Amino acid sequence: MPTQLVKCPTCKTTITISGEPGEKINLTCPQCNQKGVFTVPKDINGRTMASSSTAIDVKGLIKTYNHFSAVNNVSFSVKKGEIFGFLGPNGAGKTTTIKSILDLTHADSGTITINGINVQTHGKEAKKYIGYMPEKVSFYDNLTALQNLSFYAEIKHASKEECIHLIEELGLGDAGKKRVGKFSKGMVQRLGMARAILGSPPILILDEPSGGLDPRGVVLIRDKILEMKKKGTTIFVSSHILSEIQEICDRVGIINKGVLVAQDTVEGLSKKLNLKPQITVTIDAMSTKVENAVKTLPGVDSVKTHGNTLEIICDGAMKAKVILAISTAGGNIQNIQSKEPSLEDVFMRYTEA
Amino acid sequence: MQTNVILSIAKKEIMDNIRNKWIILVSVMFALLTLVVSYFGSLGSSGWQNLGNTISGMTQLGAYLISIVAFMLGYATIIGEIERGSMSALLSLSATRFEITVGKFLGLGAVLCLTILAGYGVAGLVIALNVANVNYLEYLAFIGITMIFGLVFLSVALFFSTVFSKRSTALGGAIFLWFLFTIILPIVFVGLLATTIDFTEITMQTTLVVPDWYHFLNLFNPISVYTALITITIGAVQSSTGAGLIPNPSWYSSGLLLGVFLVWIIVFFALAVWRFQRKDI
Ligand SMILES: Nc1ncnc2c1ncn2[C@@H]1O[C@H](COP(=O)(O)OP(=O)(O)O)[C@@H](O)[C@H]1O
Ligand SMILES: [Mg+2]
Repeated sequence: MPTQLVKCPTCKTTITISGEPGEKINLTCPQCNQKGVFTVPKDINGRTMASSSTAIDVKGLIKTYNHFSAVNNVSFSVKKGEIFGFLGPNGAGKTTTIKSILDLTHADSGTITINGINVQTHGKEAKKYIGYMPEKVSFYDNLTALQNLSFYAEIKHASKEECIHLIEELGLGDAGKKRVGKFSKGMVQRLGMARAILGSPPILILDEPSGGLDPRGVVLIRDKILEMKKKGTTIFVSSHILSEIQEICDRVGIINKGVLVAQDTVEGLSKKLNLKPQITVTIDAMSTKVENAVKTLPGVDSVKTHGNTLEIICDGAMKAKVILAISTAGGNIQNIQSKEPSLEDVFMRYTEA
Repeated sequence: MQTNVILSIAKKEIMDNIRNKWIILVSVMFALLTLVVSYFGSLGSSGWQNLGNTISGMTQLGAYLISIVAFMLGYATIIGEIERGSMSALLSLSATRFEITVGKFLGLGAVLCLTILAGYGVAGLVIALNVANVNYLEYLAFIGITMIFGLVFLSVALFFSTVFSKRSTALGGAIFLWFLFTIILPIVFVGLLATTIDFTEITMQTTLVVPDWYHFLNLFNPISVYTALITITIGAVQSSTGAGLIPNPSWYSSGLLLGVFLVWIIVFFALAVWRFQRKDI
């Protein structure tokens, strides 16, 4: 089913509706609860009518800079409503991929669709759905923060009130009337986030949004991302810092040297790599009996002891049995810690030379 | 094509440049310079000259300065935004490269025309208050032609801002181009002319007959076209002392020369769009 953007006649919020062309749909605005009937527009050029649950679809993307292959045959898709983490070390090709999705750089080959609309042939239509935060956030230094945002708002058909509201929300309150040239890097970054979410686009593309931010800024951006997800926004976010993405992503893609090496949920990836959780158990008094009891269990890969502490790497399903074995062998358990395989581990595995 | 996108971009360019203040300085400088030329301009006589003399005194100098101002406004307008990173954000909106180019041309063109209007306008008014028999219409025509001339250079500058991949290279290119039009081309054309005409035989009394190809070549230099257009169109200039050594051929007409300007504007604008479309941001 094709989707289309409509504006609430009362509060001007952008709402995504989906339905067959010509179909009339009853809708309640999520912002102001205004009820209304919208007609799904008849065919729109460039739309593949089959599009349904895919927000961003990249097929066979290739981009070469003077014989240097920056992105080599990358394919992935981002589902509507999910947070997709795009991970890779510096120079892996993340920004090049993102710029190709937006047709800022012209791909050598490959097809890219946004909500089923081909970006290369119908860019104007496709980009209506996108809010973008570039890796290098930049504004017009002679203009104030509010003048800058208002300029983008005019093009996005958003209101000046929303600009004022967003400046407030991103913690820039009093700085709205200040020239952006006088902003610190962190402030520019926050304003960049405001620009991306201006007009409540259904798809957000964020290229390393926390780059150059202080810890409070990082938290602010993460909260904003989660808040947008709650509203049903699809979020594509790139990063080379794993910890900031791990907790919020539904799925991740890992790119290395221009090649997409994995695409899955964090859990799924660690399963595929056979990464196992680590359990750290502290007991009253260590004994060989306890150690052997654990070592002989099936599904236990390794056991290390440090004083009264056991470090066990085993199948996820064996965790309970390990604890039971320790207990049965006479170990009086003081403390148990379990660490799931992290994205860091996944990442290291996939990007090691 | 969306007019609201184009107008927003044009408006932003105007705000951005006016806030920059240098353009206001340029306007003031223009007015002062015109007044100085008008008051002290011609040897032998002191005091205010009529508008015709003022115009012919200002034509060459004005052309040099306006071409610089147009280049300054335009040479980095696209590459500058790409380099700084603001172009990515602009293009991620549903603004096409064509719309952005049109918006920039309109906005920068408005700034340039306002500068010319303010500079020459204020000077014209001051002069008009001090001399008799003012032909306002001709002075307005002078201002209008000057604006179109400025737009020619703006269009060339816009193209330059899409050619290079660095702002600094674009600056170098613009400076070279300025010398090309103001010094190199005139010297080359006159040099070519010298191979066919014996200048030593010319006295003050003989009328110089210059071959048509020379006049044709001059159509490729907007500064020559501008001087010719002013001389042909503004009656006051024809009768003033400032008319050039080499007379304009009979086949030069205001219409033809304006047409040449229009071709310059359109060709370089189209080239700018074409280059920009292909550029990786
Ligand atoms: N305009 C360009 N010209 C030449 N090489 C480029 C250009 N942009 C990126 N590259 C190269 O392509 C590779 C991928 O870059 P990029 O996509 O920016 O990586 P990432 O965002 O993952 O750090 C890098 O090796 C980079 O040097
Ligand atoms: Mg990058």
